[in-house]
Amino acid sequence: MIITNNLTKKYGDFTALDQLELSVKEGEIYCLLGANGAGKTTTINLLLGFIEPTSGSAFINQLNVQENTLETKRFLAYIPENLMLYPSLSALENLDYFSGIGGEDLNKNQLKGFLEEAGLQSDAFHKRIASFSKGMRQKVGIAIALAKDAKVLLLDEPTSGLDPKASNEFGHLLQKLRGKGVATLMATHDLFRAKEVATHIGIMKDGQLKQEFVAADITLSQLEKAYLETMEYKTIVA
Amino acid sequence: MMMFRYNFKYESILLFRSKWIQILIALLILLFGFATYNGQQKTQKRKADIEKVTAEIQVSDLNMLKLLDSVEQGLTVNARPWTIPNTPMAVGNYHPRVASKPPSELSFLATGQSDMFTHFVKPTVRGDDLALNFSEMTSPVQLLFGSFDVAFVIIFLLPLLIIAFSYDVLSSERESGSLRLLAAQPILLYKWLLQKLALRFFWVAIITIVALLLVFVANQVPVVDNFSTILTFLSVSLAYAFFWFALAFAVNLWAESSAKNAVALLGLWVVFVLLIPSILNQLGSTLYPIPSRGLMINEMRTIKAEATERQDEILDNYLRDHPEYAVNDTTQERSFWHSYMASQNLIKKKLEPVLSEYENQLQKQQQLLDRFTWLSPAILIQGSMNQLADNGSESYEGYRNQVISFAKEWRDHFLPMLYNNQAFSSGDYSKLPEFTYTPISGKSQSYVLLILLCSGLAVLGFGALRFYVSSAEKHSII
Amino acid sequence: MIRKTINKELKELFRDGRVRTSIFIVLLLLGVAVWISSRQYQQTNADYAAAKVSERAVWENQGEKNPHSAAHYGTYAFKPKYPLSLVDQGVDKYVGTSIFLEAHKRNEAEFSAATDQTGLARFGDLTPDFILLFIIPLLIVLLGNNAFTKERELGTYTLLKSAGAKGWKIVLGKWTALFLPVLIITVLLLILAGLVLSNLSDYGVFQWSSLTAMGVVFLVYYSVFTNLVLWVSYMAKRSGISLVISLSLWIIACLAAPKAASNIAEARHPYPTRQEFAANVLKDKDAGLDGHNPWSKEAKLLEEQVLTEYKVDSLQQLPFNFSAYLAQKGEEHEAEVYFKHYNYLKEQYDNQSGTYRSLALLSPFLPTRFLSMAIAQTDYATHWDFSDAAEKYRIATQAFLNNNTAQNTRYGERGYKASADFWQKLPQFEYEPPTLGQILENNRSNLNTLGLWTLFSFALLFFTTKKI
Repeated sequence: MIITNNLTKKYGDFTALDQLELSVKEGEIYCLLGANGAGKTTTINLLLGFIEPTSGSAFINQLNVQENTLETKRFLAYIPENLMLYPSLSALENLDYFSGIGGEDLNKNQLKGFLEEAGLQSDAFHKRIASFSKGMRQKVGIAIALAKDAKVLLLDEPTSGLDPKASNEFGHLLQKLRGKGVATLMATHDLFRAKEVATHIGIMKDGQLKQEFVAADITLSQLEKAYLETMEYKTIVA
Repeated sequence: MMMFRYNFKYESILLFRSKWIQILIALLILLFGFATYNGQQKTQKRKADIEKVTAEIQVSDLNMLKLLDSVEQGLTVNARPWTIPNTPMAVGNYHPRVASKPPSELSFLATGQSDMFTHFVKPTVRGDDLALNFSEMTSPVQLLFGSFDVAFVIIFLLPLLIIAFSYDVLSSERESGSLRLLAAQPILLYKWLLQKLALRFFWVAIITIVALLLVFVANQVPVVDNFSTILTFLSVSLAYAFFWFALAFAVNLWAESSAKNAVALLGLWVVFVLLIPSILNQLGSTLYPIPSRGLMINEMRTIKAEATERQDEILDNYLRDHPEYAVNDTTQERSFWHSYMASQNLIKKKLEPVLSEYENQLQKQQQLLDRFTWLSPAILIQGSMNQLADNGSESYEGYRNQVISFAKEWRDHFLPMLYNNQAFSSGDYSKLPEFTYTPISGKSQSYVLLILLCSGLAVLGFGALRFYVSSAEKHSII
Repeated sequence: MIRKTINKELKELFRDGRVRTSIFIVLLLLGVAVWISSRQYQQTNADYAAAKVSERAVWENQGEKNPHSAAHYGTYAFKPKYPLSLVDQGVDKYVGTSIFLEAHKRNEAEFSAATDQTGLARFGDLTPDFILLFIIPLLIVLLGNNAFTKERELGTYTLLKSAGAKGWKIVLGKWTALFLPVLIITVLLLILAGLVLSNLSDYGVFQWSSLTAMGVVFLVYYSVFTNLVLWVSYMAKRSGISLVISLSLWIIACLAAPKAASNIAEARHPYPTRQEFAANVLKDKDAGLDGHNPWSKEAKLLEEQVLTEYKVDSLQQLPFNFSAYLAQKGEEHEAEVYFKHYNYLKEQYDNQSGTYRSLALLSPFLPTRFLSMAIAQTDYATHWDFSDAAEKYRIATQAFLNNNTAQNTRYGERGYKASADFWQKLPQFEYEPPTLGQILENNRSNLNTLGLWTLFSFALLFFTTKKI
């Protein structure tokens, strides 16, 4: 349940986000496409309450993010692009810590359950994160979201750096979460994966949401063409 | 409360898994160990020196009593006439008491000025106060380099360990991206950071205390007997550590990367520990310079010359230079000593104003510096340590004054006997004045504690301001 | 290629705000330190000159007086300050500046500045040597600790290697870029000091050669640090580790080792306490050197000797005052006792120096400190030299006075007073400090140790270049 109303962010003369109207309902996966600097990360930062909007508002689960920063964080989970976690702690310990400080008091079995649900091999539970690949770390991130019983999931370039298998696994996890009713907003460059998992797709440029599609209604090559046109590049492939 | 539980558990796990903590523990024990050992060595030497001298006096006293006994029985003795102890002047001059400054039990904590000044003096009737030389024979290279004492470890090295330990507490999280993840949790970031630093401070405090106590016990420091002083010492040291943690907190918030943090904190270390003290020192001697001792000497010599001329009117000039020979001439004796003491008194009175001008300048310097000691926690703590060890300049000044008044007491004890032409007898031995050293009661350390805590809190506050700086002006903390 | 590296490194350095700030602060501090030092130097020298003149006037205006009274009245020898003390104060603060020269007694220099100052003085002064010895090496650590680690962390290291860059060229480039700012700052400082001093050249003889020697010593010291910092940077895995290790080296070298060394030296070869020293001197004075040859016996022997030599039967018949002659001999005898005991102190100090030398293997700071002080003539050895010269002058003064009595009176006469213009005839005390050549000769071991450090650190770095 993500809603933005005329969400605007300006840094002096520079407009990072221009009157964004966005809505992601329960069980939807919304992929935000756009070049670097298009405003995807700004949107996520605003939704997380990391920065304040110049005007307009954002809502998570019907709570105004600006006014209820702490409250809204109870409902959302976030996986940043470079999820490092604590290298000298194990996967289980990391999960325990991040869910614990957020107020979830879970026992070991419950935690293990979430790691398993996130697709992590059980022999990796006690291994230190320092030895994990990005894919494995993403899974721990998902586990944190599951442990929190998050209603909203925000993802920043989750599939960059993943090999096809890991990327595929991740897509399946997202579908699983979608089945639980989680509203997911995913900022990405990965057109392919976006088409695979998304229910809705938006293309941003210069802080504005230029185009929106229902994923089922277009093909991948149509998506690519729309993307490149938005970016005002001549299409090379018709 | 929950965040605290988890923070405590995992911060501690993180710390103890990292090699750094193990290095820290080993280092602290090594450094404190060496410093305490060093300090105790010096203390033992000081005690030994005093004991030796005291023993010598005791032997000499025994001999004196034997001699007196023989003389009183009418036997002839084999000693130079002017040293025979049946006259008050002979006793006063050749059998002085030891006025000593024994080391305190915690003297090893800080060398202070104890390497510059002597710890025992034997004032005689004849000597004048100006001749009492309190400086000790030490290699000036040793004075220049200073001492590796516990105070050095705490003032100079502990902050560096704290900096190494906490310079990247926020920036490393930011650089590794875990900060973003944390910020997405329903927690207040400033609370989280404060807890992290508080926990690190907690562990550093525990390790420091344990290391110190271990090292103290190993070096036979009487911990139980001096419990309250040691407690004060620990409190002051921890307050100092708190200040540095607060600085680390503020710098982590305001600076932008681990590298910049490190440089900033090291710069602050240089400023607080090296620069401010030396600048203040410079300021003191520039604004209130001690007037040239050379010129003082000239003034004194001119005065002395004049007074000496007047002395000539009082006594034969050769006897003045070699008063011991005056004793030979019994007709001269009483009047000689009387005149001699009178003339010494005269000179002393004339020279006093010159000397007191010097003392005044030093006092003014001291007062100026006292007003600004709060500028650097390092200065504050050095003063505290010196005081706890009873080795500071005030302590030695106190000792000097006590010795001077004892010298007067010693002199005043014998003069009446001299004037009344009394002989010194064995019975008079037990009535000889003895010197007892009373350590000055210094300023209470709670003043230092207060300043350190307030400075630390002020710095924390400054750091916390960062949370309120509008995110339009600066990048988000995250 | 080397030049390109140098350029790139320098650009990186100077575009970094904190580097600019640190260098600016160092220059500022240096400026202040030089200004303060030069003022103090002028002041001290003015005092010295005034005191010297005043004291001489006091001595010459004694009027008619018995020479022995004058001997007891005594005179003062003041220690001059030399030009390079502006750069390095050495131990001057801790030694006295005036020695009282009187009959029968050898005194220590009195009134060291430190005894007059508060406990704060032990923290150190803002002097050029403080900046040169402590702050500039710290600057090297701050500027150079990430020389190699940053390349690794940015990923440019592999780029460099794949571009075929030769190891030694990279190292040389980085070394030069790191050393260059330090070189410029040091040279600037020394030129500034030189200019200031040559304008004050009425006091003391200022020599550019000494200043240059000092400069070279410091530059060698900095090259050692540069080598070590670069080596650590190469070996370390991350910037953080490199910084911590380099910093630890700085702390050990400049703070911890000197203190530890001085404690160990003092513990192994302690000086006697002042009281002990005085008591020992007294004992030897009474009992004669080594317990044999007490003065009473020696005096008798002399008496017989002189009587035989002049072929007379009684002292009154001698053509000079025997008492005065004996007094002078006695004086010389006592002086020997003093020389013996002061030599013991010197021996102890030499032993202590041995300890410093062995611990210098832990720290390049130690030989540099000693060399710098020695060249500036503010070290302990110069103080000893001055004390000994003052002692010789004292004995000569006693001879001057006693001989006057010996020549102008006969044995048993009392009440002799020398005329008022007699005192002017005593030559003034002049002290010539050792020359630069002698200083360097005396400090050969320190030069060697510093040399060893230089070789060792360059070797370390050289073997690193092989690996790159």
